[in-house]
Amino acid sequence: MTRTTRPASPVTASPATASVRGLTVSLTRGGVTSEVLRGVDLEIAPAEIVGLVGESGSGKSVLALTLLGLLPESSAPRLSGSATVAGVDMIGGSAAELRRVRTTELGAIFQDPMTSLNPTMRIGAQITESTHSAAESVRLLSLVGIHDAAERMRAYPHELSGGLRQRVMAAIAVSGTPSLIIADEPTTALDVTVQAQVLDLLRELRDRMGCSVLIITHDLGVAGQVADRIAVMYAGRIVELGTADEVLRRPANPYTVGLLGARLSLGMHRGGLLTTLAPETASVEERLRGCAYHSRCQLATTDCATETPSLDPLESGPDGHLSACWRSPAKVGSLAASLPARAGVELPDLTSLVPIPAVKGPAVEVVDLTCVFRGKRARGRATAIHAVQGISLRVEHGEALSIVGESGSGKSTLLRVIAGLTPATSGTVAVGPDRPQMVFQDAGSSLTPWLTVGEILRERLLPLRIPRAEASRRVESILESMGLSASIAVVRPAELSGGQRQRVVLARATIIPPSVLLCDEPTSALDASLAASVLNLIRDLRERLGMTVLFVTHDLAVARLMGDRIAVMNRGRLVELGDADSIITRPQDPYTAALIAAVPELITDRRADS
Amino acid sequence: MIAFLAKRLGITIVLLFTLSAIIFFLESIAPGDPVKAYLGANASRVDVLAERHRLGLDEPTIVQFGRFLAGLAHGDLGVSFRTHRAVTADFAVYLPATIELVVFAFVFAILLAGGFAFSAALRLPGSSVYRGILLVGSTAPPFLLAIFGIVLFYQQLDWLPASGRGPDDAGPTGFLVIDTLAHADLPGLASTFQHLLLPGLVLAIAPAIGIGRILRSSLESTLSADYVRTARSKGLSGGRVLVSHVLRNSIGPAISMSGLQLGFMFAGVVVVEQVFSWPGIGNYLANSIPVSDFPAIAAVTLVLGAIYIATNAVVDLLQAAADPRLVT
Repeated sequence: MTRTTRPASPVTASPATASVRGLTVSLTRGGVTSEVLRGVDLEIAPAEIVGLVGESGSGKSVLALTLLGLLPESSAPRLSGSATVAGVDMIGGSAAELRRVRTTELGAIFQDPMTSLNPTMRIGAQITESTHSAAESVRLLSLVGIHDAAERMRAYPHELSGGLRQRVMAAIAVSGTPSLIIADEPTTALDVTVQAQVLDLLRELRDRMGCSVLIITHDLGVAGQVADRIAVMYAGRIVELGTADEVLRRPANPYTVGLLGARLSLGMHRGGLLTTLAPETASVEERLRGCAYHSRCQLATTDCATETPSLDPLESGPDGHLSACWRSPAKVGSLAASLPARAGVELPDLTSLVPIPAVKGPAVEVVDLTCVFRGKRARGRATAIHAVQGISLRVEHGEALSIVGESGSGKSTLLRVIAGLTPATSGTVAVGPDRPQMVFQDAGSSLTPWLTVGEILRERLLPLRIPRAEASRRVESILESMGLSASIAVVRPAELSGGQRQRVVLARATIIPPSVLLCDEPTSALDASLAASVLNLIRDLRERLGMTVLFVTHDLAVARLMGDRIAVMNRGRLVELGDADSIITRPQDPYTAALIAAVPELITDRRADS
Repeated sequence: MIAFLAKRLGITIVLLFTLSAIIFFLESIAPGDPVKAYLGANASRVDVLAERHRLGLDEPTIVQFGRFLAGLAHGDLGVSFRTHRAVTADFAVYLPATIELVVFAFVFAILLAGGFAFSAALRLPGSSVYRGILLVGSTAPPFLLAIFGIVLFYQQLDWLPASGRGPDDAGPTGFLVIDTLAHADLPGLASTFQHLLLPGLVLAIAPAIGIGRILRSSLESTLSADYVRTARSKGLSGGRVLVSHVLRNSIGPAISMSGLQLGFMFAGVVVVEQVFSWPGIGNYLANSIPVSDFPAIAAVTLVLGAIYIATNAVVDLLQAAADPRLVT
């Protein structure tokens, strides 16, 4: 076990709330052992908010669980180095000691407040488990901004909205006045307007209670909104660390630059390709030999492939800005200045696909559509939920329309009715001439797990009654069009990554090009760079095949990029419909304006506006 | 809740009506003459006809059915052709014995299932051995298990009795556990449990593995749930996490399975009562079928049906109590 003694944070007088030194963690999943954290150093000062940013699989959640002493035993964790919270060793400490630290020093907020609260326990009981006093629980519920806290104590989690649930999680986290709150993707599962409230709440709790916060997120924009300092993680190491301002304005690591470039914002150009990170080409061994990012890095030299750079202070920068990169900050800075430039993904060749013949008239016409669901009986009464109320829409052939709204706005129901998956209560829907194809949010669960990719795709070709060899050839060609290897045809969906699965779903939808493609949040579960590459693919398919695209999203930046027009939905109604850019720059409806205001933008974006 | 109960009651009445109609239809086409059984094989033709008229068996099936329903409404299940007593009087003797056996076996099954599920989900040492024994036990048909139990524990080891309920019943309930306690008869109570043990175990072992498997898999998925991680992050002790966060969220499927198994146990009790000469309703039914003792057969079927339906209603109520999401 080697310990590094490099200072990893600005020198503060008081001892750190949490301190991680040379932390290495190996986990075993499915019989394969891998080093998930590889020598992490991080100090969190009292009353400091640190944002830990990285893509999925970078190890950021593992760091959080290590600090909580809650690494799952089923993955046989092996640790070296040190991780202390309030002076207590969270690696070597006894179970009772760790439990005491979790009770008195730590609070945790997790990603999905629906699944993170016990569904069969009243929220009051769940908070009182930590506070041991109902009065204190009510006080904390009020503190986190829940009105009528005393009445809410008797509610079950499913009776609250997503934002309220996350506030309940926050109330549990602050019980016992912890010195550190660990928030693991606390806003990822929430709507943008709610996300802004939860981030404000975290800041406010820090200001009022003086606790430190470690906020883990995949979005640099979210980190930039709340964090004092940002640590960027890649492949189990921190590759850049500095004040939020420094990291966002003068990124010193090419990976940070890549993340910034792949981030979609309201102000970016709508035309052309979205910037993505280059795909990983190196094997695991090759990555671990040098800088793990080298095969994707535009600035990589031969050294980068063989020598691992250490996280060192910048030669010519403010104190406390560290980066792990062989190239000079000036070089990285010039890379940042060249944004947005395409980062080198070759777009797949779509020439093998036959464009859809042009047809006159609308591709989708919805007239006065209403969709009502029967709710569950509450005390003997059946409640009717008006998911969609009196919507009329007309989408021309080849047009792309984005439908934006928060959860519960009815946007997905509208799409499902158009797809013919949900019956309309009244009104008419005309789609044509062929059956539209749909791409769902969760690619993992929309692919049949026991079929291979090839079988899933060939199934779509069955109505054509073409010979098997011909079908296989078409499967190969569509996979290659999607930027996937043809060898994937024999693999089952579980063995693919999230981005690959979404490409397979797209391949399934377009192997017989539909005249209308319906997309229901296809990228919201993906990392920024992967999302951008999938969006590129959809835009390209549309352009080459002349498809009509209806794109449902909660993200206005994505809506603006994917649609010629944007339709804004709220509580089942269409509140605004118009040209994409004018909706963003001159919203007519206050609801649209509120949505726009809540989008987390980077400090640098804000500057560009003012 | 009231609406729920009313609906259940309505369904129960419809089901029981259908059940009795089916029994009547089967009876009307079944071979065998209950009157011959009633009077003995040597009765004269005149006597048989007279008796048939007295019992109303010469009337059309539909009229008999109407009279049966009318009697049912007054709590009258008719007179057994075999015992020549009111069926309700027979039930007062035999039904408590069966209920006592099944309830004992059910509690036994729940304990075995709980032990199996928790030891497996928490990876306690010895859980696989325990599971192996239960699995082997559950694959054997109950009569074989019963005979094996009698050979081992009665014949070879002489630890347990092989037949009957033990002490004579001194009233008032017909449940020996309650009656012996009421008379402060501790040796009688001990003997009662001794007699219950072997048939109870035979009856319990297959349901135990069914319930245990369901409980184990839901425990395992609950243990990895996000809210269990939240509970741990609060610094709660392992036991507290298990009881107040894991158990209640895992119990739903196990409750459904338990209800189902309890129904099967009332069906399986016929075989077990035969092997252990248990003076219960299963034995009563087994003796009534060969002589076409129709009132007895119909009554047992109806009572078992009612118990099965009531069990399912209780299961629904328990599930709603365990999971508030099912109510609102």
